[in-house]
Amino acid sequence: MEKSIETIWNEGFLKNDALIAPKINNLYTQKSKHVIDKFKRMFKINLIAIVVFAFVILIVTSYNGLTIIGFTWFIILMGLAAVNKRLTSSMEQIAYHQNSYDYLVSFNQWLQKQMAINRKMACLYYPFFFLSMVIGFWFVDAEGVALGERLVGEILYGFPNTILVFGVPVIIIAMVLTIAAALALLGGKIYNLDVKLIYGNTFKKIEELIADLEELKK
Amino acid sequence: MFILPYSGIIIKLCRAYTNSQEDFEDYYQEVCLQIWRSKQNFREESAWSTWVYRISLNVCLTLLKKEKKNRNTLFVSDTPFVEANEVNNAFSDESLNLLYAAIKNLSEIDRAIIMLYLDEKAYKEIAEIIGTNPNNIGVRVKRIKTKLKTLLDGKIN
Repeated sequence: MEKSIETIWNEGFLKNDALIAPKINNLYTQKSKHVIDKFKRMFKINLIAIVVFAFVILIVTSYNGLTIIGFTWFIILMGLAAVNKRLTSSMEQIAYHQNSYDYLVSFNQWLQKQMAINRKMACLYYPFFFLSMVIGFWFVDAEGVALGERLVGEILYGFPNTILVFGVPVIIIAMVLTIAAALALLGGKIYNLDVKLIYGNTFKKIEELIADLEELKK
Repeated sequence: MFILPYSGIIIKLCRAYTNSQEDFEDYYQEVCLQIWRSKQNFREESAWSTWVYRISLNVCLTLLKKEKKNRNTLFVSDTPFVEANEVNNAFSDESLNLLYAAIKNLSEIDRAIIMLYLDEKAYKEIAEIIGTNPNNIGVRVKRIKTKLKTLLDGKIN
């Protein structure tokens, strides 16, 4: 009796040789190159975005009388871009030579180094971002008078006994300094969150690949 | 590994779209790579096996299209019947080799449909993978089976 298509299919695949997966050469090479190339692309796009944002914020704030904020942010962001541009040069030197594992490990080492540098910088630039905003808004024009002076006037009207240091209520100085200190302390953590949001998936893939290759090495 | 339990599906599909061991290995590798790449896009709206099938099929069809472009060949339906021994005897089971040779004479989508059917997928899932109406699948499977029977007529005992 003639066999049905279903029978041929099922019986055929019962034999052991029917479903032998081919040996995959270069899969890990391709994977590691893909994941690192993707990171490099994202890193470069991010750098360009920082520079563009620096110019945009400078122009926008200048039109709104918040030049102090715009200028400070511009300097900080350009500095950040310059440092990371230098780091990019060392990143480009990491090339695929012998095997995926070495490639991934050296890339991961570079990644950790650049993250450590950026984390330290974050502890500085977050407080500066904040301080520049406070100072910027303090001096912004509010109907002929600086907004800060107006605020001090209102406080003194309500609380005549307020202690002033260089014409600024102590309570405001204390609050601003506390927030700036908190940002300095938490800068690294904020940076980690920021990086995780953008590159989280890529980092995970790199870690998984390294773990896979270490497992295969055993 | 997340691909390993489904390597059977991938092997069966890649075999149906390739004519040599070398091509088969290339397709298999590319499918595995693409599944790995697209893992993060999997939203669990379907079964993982459905997702694997869909990606495998997309990769095979894309590679086939690229190959066709390179070779500037005619459509599959215009090509003469591919004999099992002309292709390559990938399996030790002669009947399976003949069936594969017959499947390779079907259109690209029909190949996918019959393999999903033979892999005991429900019509609904086949439709989901192919991106068509489930009502059409039953009729199409019947037509494909008739065509395969004609192609295999007298060749298998």
